[in-house]
Amino acid sequence: MVPVSYYLTLSAIMFTVGVVGVVVRRNSIVVFMCIELMLNAVNLSFVALSHYLGNLNGQIAVFFVMVVAAAEAAVGLAIIISMFRAMKSVETSNADQLNG
Amino acid sequence: MEFLILLIKVFVVFNAIMGLASICTWVERKGSALIQDRVGANRAGAYFETDILLLKPVFWVIRWAGMLGIINTLLCDAVKALTKEDFVPEGTSQFMHCLAPFLAVLPVFLAFAVLPLAPDFEVFGYQIRPQLASLNVGILFVFAMGSIAVYGVALAGWTGNNKFSLMGGLRASAQMISYELAMGITMVSVIVMYGTLDLYEMVAVQGNQWGIVYSPMAWLSFIILFVVGMAETKRGPFDLPESESELVAGYFTEYSGMKFLIFWLGEFAEIALFSAILVLLFFGGWNVPFLSLPDNHWLTALIGHAVLMGKILFFCVLQIVIRWTLPRFRYDQLMNLGWKILLPLSMVNLLIVAALKVF
Amino acid sequence: MEIAFFIMALIILVSGIGVIVSHNPIHSALWLVANLLTVAGLFANLDAHFLAVAQMIVYAGAIMVLVLFVLMLLNLKTERPSSASVMAKVVAAGFGIAFLWMIVPLLNRSFEVFEGPAVGVQGTVKEIGKLLYTKHIFPFEFASILIMAAIVGAVMLSKKKYRQ
Repeated sequence: MVPVSYYLTLSAIMFTVGVVGVVVRRNSIVVFMCIELMLNAVNLSFVALSHYLGNLNGQIAVFFVMVVAAAEAAVGLAIIISMFRAMKSVETSNADQLNG
Repeated sequence: MEFLILLIKVFVVFNAIMGLASICTWVERKGSALIQDRVGANRAGAYFETDILLLKPVFWVIRWAGMLGIINTLLCDAVKALTKEDFVPEGTSQFMHCLAPFLAVLPVFLAFAVLPLAPDFEVFGYQIRPQLASLNVGILFVFAMGSIAVYGVALAGWTGNNKFSLMGGLRASAQMISYELAMGITMVSVIVMYGTLDLYEMVAVQGNQWGIVYSPMAWLSFIILFVVGMAETKRGPFDLPESESELVAGYFTEYSGMKFLIFWLGEFAEIALFSAILVLLFFGGWNVPFLSLPDNHWLTALIGHAVLMGKILFFCVLQIVIRWTLPRFRYDQLMNLGWKILLPLSMVNLLIVAALKVF
Repeated sequence: MEIAFFIMALIILVSGIGVIVSHNPIHSALWLVANLLTVAGLFANLDAHFLAVAQMIVYAGAIMVLVLFVLMLLNLKTERPSSASVMAKVVAAGFGIAFLWMIVPLLNRSFEVFEGPAVGVQGTVKEIGKLLYTKHIFPFEFASILIMAAIVGAVMLSKKKYRQ
């Protein structure tokens, strides 16, 4: 079987890719997708450890992370749509004024 | 040897899907003609003759098949689609345009992997279960594949690069997502009714008593799943996304030739998929009511498979007849039905089924 | 079954990098869908059957469809090539590699004592349901309130302001 550190390494690499994406990209929707990538990496780490420790609570945690990610997706995309209506663009560098 | 059995199962399931989809295509073409009081396709192959005496029966069969429209639908349509010009609209990504038909068809084919096609049997010392993948979350996998099938439609609408395609694609995706909710909750009520998720166990639990009389409220689940199935395949009175007189062809507009045929095949395969699910969940699968055959024998499996295919074909024909009979819904009526009628109805159904199970 | 893990890990890495590198946001969304589906496959490999299917239904089947809808409705053109200056990208990548350099040996060393999977607990629907409804009933009920708040919030935020 594959040792658990392989799964954890994969999770760490995916998390880092997500962080670099959030920092580098300027399109809000792509930033949102990189956040989902980070959440996914954490989910993978939870499930891998749950399997290797023989405990199901890790999978319950993943269930709740998915619920929160779904709620955040709905609200975040609604915010992006409002931003697009106000500024006609979704670039993060355009949203630099309060009450803009 | 296990691998060989798996390959044979893959071959059999694939043939079942293609066979069902092809028969549905033929029934659609000839059946729609008969419903609309016209003759339909009957020219190709209807005039074949030969002088060689030994080949006369073969040509007689070909003439009859031609007169029934089988050669026209199965052979000529395919050749015509293969030899048409294959163009990609400019201004969009070629890769996504060519990917969309496959994304629409792949989930349907994958969902057939968890459907059992015959009872267990034993041959040459190997115990075979005719189910390609015995997942213990069987029916949820079908639901997941229904969720993924939205991508093909959305991408097809987007890569058409014109407003008709986009409107059709977005409408179709919204329709599919809305009806998935009612499908999910109804599936939960079916799971509660049978106590298991694996489709083989569900059919085994039904025994000789079909699912629809197994529980007093099963008929409501059946009706909801039937309506949702027709809405998910964008067939029947729910075919506004591909409405053939309003949106040119909806999200199909920019597809011609073989890619169109792949979409078409996927649609009929999805009809077969939902018919199969309805039969397996509510109509006993391969059980015949007053016949009890010996367990674990290969002849039982063969008869069971034939009975199952017959029942699936009945439901496919039923869906095709309903499509050619009823006028289509308006879009707001469609959304109204999905969100305001079917969703509360399925929740009430779940409550009643759960209450019946507990008390 | 190790070959399955390595193939899936490769697809996950390639699609993850595809998400942050693509110029077209719709390409990024499709790469992310591939990523999510492959992670669902990894969950199935780890005996978390319900979570694999839930990942396909919730993440790949609902959240990403929502993202694709928003992208198609907003009709965004390709991002201008000057997304961030090249220096910023290099510095960000450098920090990422430095983070990995520190974390990965730490992970490898602290989990060396576990010698492989225990008699795996199968994450079937029955087992997870039992846990959810007994030990974790409060977060479960609270999650439904959270989702309702999200629905109300999303509807409120995306309504157009009606002109007087």
